[in-house]
Amino acid sequence: MATKDFKLNIERRDGVGTTGSQQVRAKGRIPAIIYGHGSDSQPISVEAKALDDLLHHGGRTTLITLVDGSKTETALIREVQRNEVSHRILHADFQRVSANEAVRAKLSVVTVGAAVGVKEQGGVMDVITHEIEVEGPASRLPDNLEVDVTALGIHEHINAADVKLPEGFKLITPGDTTVVLVEASKTARLLEEAELGLEAPAQAEPEVIGEKTETASTSE
Amino acid sequence: MLTPKRVKWRKVQRGRMTGRAVRGSTLTFGEYGLQAMEPCWMSNRQIEAARIAMTRHIKRGGKVWIKVFPDKPVTKKPAEVRMGAGKGNPEFWVAVVRPGRVLFELSGVEPNVAREALRRAAAKLPIGTKIVSREEA
Repeated sequence: MATKDFKLNIERRDGVGTTGSQQVRAKGRIPAIIYGHGSDSQPISVEAKALDDLLHHGGRTTLITLVDGSKTETALIREVQRNEVSHRILHADFQRVSANEAVRAKLSVVTVGAAVGVKEQGGVMDVITHEIEVEGPASRLPDNLEVDVTALGIHEHINAADVKLPEGFKLITPGDTTVVLVEASKTARLLEEAELGLEAPAQAEPEVIGEKTETASTSE
Repeated sequence: MLTPKRVKWRKVQRGRMTGRAVRGSTLTFGEYGLQAMEPCWMSNRQIEAARIAMTRHIKRGGKVWIKVFPDKPVTKKPAEVRMGAGKGNPEFWVAVVRPGRVLFELSGVEPNVAREALRRAAAKLPIGTKIVSREEA
């Protein structure tokens, strides 16, 4: 459960848009925005290293205290944009949230234990749904949802409705969504086929859509 | 080897490979992935070689996703032929890869096995790559 107390120093910023954001990043800070609770959205900036540390220590779904001088407010991180290649944080969205307010959040799925289907029956465990959406009090949002897969045999699965949620939380993701599945190993089959030389032969040129074949053209 | 079943045109123009991959730049299925750091035309032979290197290392177990498809035909003129007289014949298929594109994903194996499998796959590719994981994201 989320018991950590995260604090982040913020600064109000005037520069918005591409140029303003780039100027903020040049100073080693991350441009961000804070919105919610009926107030106007406010462009802010946070220290890059502090935000990175916070995300690495479970701050993704935990209530954060934003400190702006003498003023404080609680918020949740709603979105983090990253550079596709360097993975550096480009921008963050914060939503104003009070401690006892019910909020929706996507929690990542963490499997616990070794499945029987993998250990004894040679299957492969596949996490189909990596995030489950739940609704509950903001102050008690967990970092992730633990799913016990110990009893899972081959060709068996766990649905979202079967995942045990913390007290006071309800499921938003449809209950029949498959979360974890144990299936037969496909790589084993591919290896066997390769050993026996059963690999699919290389296909000749692909069919061209709309091009008449020789037989069709001669029959016309 | 991966090739399209049906195509609209036998030959296509070369095009440009500017910019970064925006779509397909995050892990969607597996726990670990191999991300391209440079642009390239990745041939179906290279993709197949990387897939074989991965599956042979992880042996029985694990699941592999190939997240690029070679859908672009590359033509070549035969050797010792004078220039002109039209475009050459389609010889092989390539996937246009831009920096940031996740090429392969892996799951269901131990982290050290996954990293080694992806390292072996990277050795078969013509570009620099990076191993990415869901924990780091």
